Amino acid sequence: MTEVGTLTAIRALFPVLAALSSLALVPLIRLWRGSERDDAATYATFGVQLLLLATSVGAALAGAGYLSTLKVGQITIDPSEPGRLLVLLGGIVFAVIVGAGEGRRAGTMGQIALFGIAAIDLSLAIPSGIAPIALLLFASLGISGAAASGKDDVGRARAVFRDLRTVSLLLPAVVIAEILRVAISYAAVDASYATPASLAAGTALGVSIVLIVAAGVFPFHGRLIKIFEALPIVGSLLVGVWIPSALALIVMSELSALASSITDPLGGAIVPGILLAGAATLIFGAVSALLHDDIGEIVGFMAVANSGWLALAAAAALQAPTDTSSRLIVLPGMLTISLFGLWLVSVRRRYGTTSIRELGGWARRTSANGIALTAAIVALAALPPGAVLAARLNLLLLGGNPLIALFAVIGQVLLIVAAIRLLLIGFTPQSQTVHEAETRPFANLITISLVAGSLFVAAAAAGWLALESGGTGPLPPAPSVSPATSFAPVPSSEPSVEPMPSLTASPEVSPEVSPDGSPSGSGEISPAP
Amino acid sequence: MPSLELPLVLIAILAGTLAVTSAGRGAWVAIAILALSSSALEFSISDPNRIGLILRLSAIGIGLAAALPENLFERDALRRDLALGTLVRTLREHPVVVASAVAGLLLGLVPLALPIESSSDALRAAGIALLVVGLPPLLTSRFIEATTRAAVVTLSGTLLLRTSIFGALDPLGAIAIAAGFTCILVVGGSVATRISNAEEER
Repeated sequence: MTEVGTLTAIRALFPVLAALSSLALVPLIRLWRGSERDDAATYATFGVQLLLLATSVGAALAGAGYLSTLKVGQITIDPSEPGRLLVLLGGIVFAVIVGAGEGRRAGTMGQIALFGIAAIDLSLAIPSGIAPIALLLFASLGISGAAASGKDDVGRARAVFRDLRTVSLLLPAVVIAEILRVAISYAAVDASYATPASLAAGTALGVSIVLIVAAGVFPFHGRLIKIFEALPIVGSLLVGVWIPSALALIVMSELSALASSITDPLGGAIVPGILLAGAATLIFGAVSALLHDDIGEIVGFMAVANSGWLALAAAAALQAPTDTSSRLIVLPGMLTISLFGLWLVSVRRRYGTTSIRELGGWARRTSANGIALTAAIVALAALPPGAVLAARLNLLLLGGNPLIALFAVIGQVLLIVAAIRLLLIGFTPQSQTVHEAETRPFANLITISLVAGSLFVAAAAAGWLALESGGTGPLPPAPSVSPATSFAPVPSSEPSVEPMPSLTASPEVSPEVSPDGSPSGSGEISPAP
Repeated sequence: MPSLELPLVLIAILAGTLAVTSAGRGAWVAIAILALSSSALEFSISDPNRIGLILRLSAIGIGLAAALPENLFERDALRRDLALGTLVRTLREHPVVVASAVAGLLLGLVPLALPIESSSDALRAAGIALLVVGLPPLLTSRFIEATTRAAVVTLSGTLLLRTSIFGALDPLGAIAIAAGFTCILVVGGSVATRISNAEEER
């Protein structure tokens, strides 16, 4: 490989290389410090934090331009703007969370975070089709398995088992959606089969189900709650928020391309169904967050509510394919839930409990945690009003149903109330647990990084840094359909009309297919071989 | 190669059925045979670029090595569990699964009700039969090892169905799916071990 080729490969695969290097770094640090010494785990954690930050900086420097596009034979790795932005912010977020979590397994959690963000970057860098979705689903399973390891906890093992079942069920849905998508272009020229609109509805349903189940939209929220109950926070955030959000970007890209390729409205009740599921999820997550007394569960329900926004965004992508609002809300949502996760891990580490009955006065005792939660509330409310709030309102307008919009607004307000309730508990008289807890001076590295990290992430989530605009860029375009099968298949059904070579998006042949069949580059509809 | 297609399809369906109906050794051996036969169907053996096939077989091999229970290869027990009589008895004890496999096979032979130009009948039949056999235990089983095996059967069926229409996976897809097979087997094995350890402690 030439020097230029090597540099390109490093740019394209930087997060993956950083994750792989952690496999050598952590054992080396442990060897250097000696496994018996207490500070070996601390040094390993510090090393992984540095690696997370280096990944973040490296992804920002490598960027998503043509210089980072790697081509090896038939394989193309074309890093996308959203992928690189997620790595940039993910590196910072997880470095802070790993620091706040401390403990013997913090280094391992940092390694898991490295692999998680590498999988997200890679999946958003490969052309859409089955590969990126499969990669994300299996990465989610692998991460939950790795995060749950370490102790024989039945609850954790059952959460992973649930994940295994879910992932195995979603792959057939993706393949069926893929088959239906390819059939659309043929349906346009052969009236004896289903119409393009109904096939597009089937495709949209298959792809949306993947998002709805993976993200934990009502009534599939149980998996997300179990994940937040059982797994460590790094694993919970990756499996429950970050990977589903990356999946949402792919799904929205597919849905936009799909909706652009047909002129008729989608058949069935796909859009109203997704809208209803989104609004119900928001309300359900917010009310549950208000009614529960365990901060772990409350953060889990906040993640559920966030998945409601993802469902609303998916519906908006179908309604208005060219509008970028749907992709604009993904990043702020995941950053906000990560902030709550950061606050959760910090409070749990300091007070050793997650019950709010035992956490009275926590904010007066540890003001840094108070700052972190305030930052999370600001991010949740997207204050001061700007691009993020405008995007959310735009989504509700695109939905076109005032009742759904009203429910979503009520859900979001209740969510903010649930978060404020947590903050207010911090200013009540100190409980015995809080009073007896050991605290450390404000001026130390972990506390300072907690405060600085919270403020930075809140600024990004609330739209102050205008980082979110980078997350709406296009994903790599869909490849053409794979070569013919190895067994030279015979036609199982005689096509009544021989498809033309220029079948895709041909206005003369298919009046129902719009001339600009593939506007965003992703999910292009190609004829079967 | 087409001459091998039908025997491989039948072997894959039989192995898939045994993988979800047998317990212990018989099921794991059936999974290994299913992996071999479905990979051979999916990726052309005569294709000079065999990277997909090699990846798939290595991935499943690694996954099986991690997931296989201890004492699997005890010669006497293996001979007893894999005896023809035992296998036939297992199939006779699960008539619904066998009927599902046959129904899936017949259903798969019917042309798709979709305007897709070409599709291999045999691969499609194998894919649908494996999906029909694998999905029910994947949805309902409370046993981790059985669910893991059902996941492998379902995924194999899904990929055969996909191959019948689109052909073999592209290299990136092949890598992702190979990693997925390993992931399912390794995670399934580790979860099963952890739960049995925790229950023993209790």
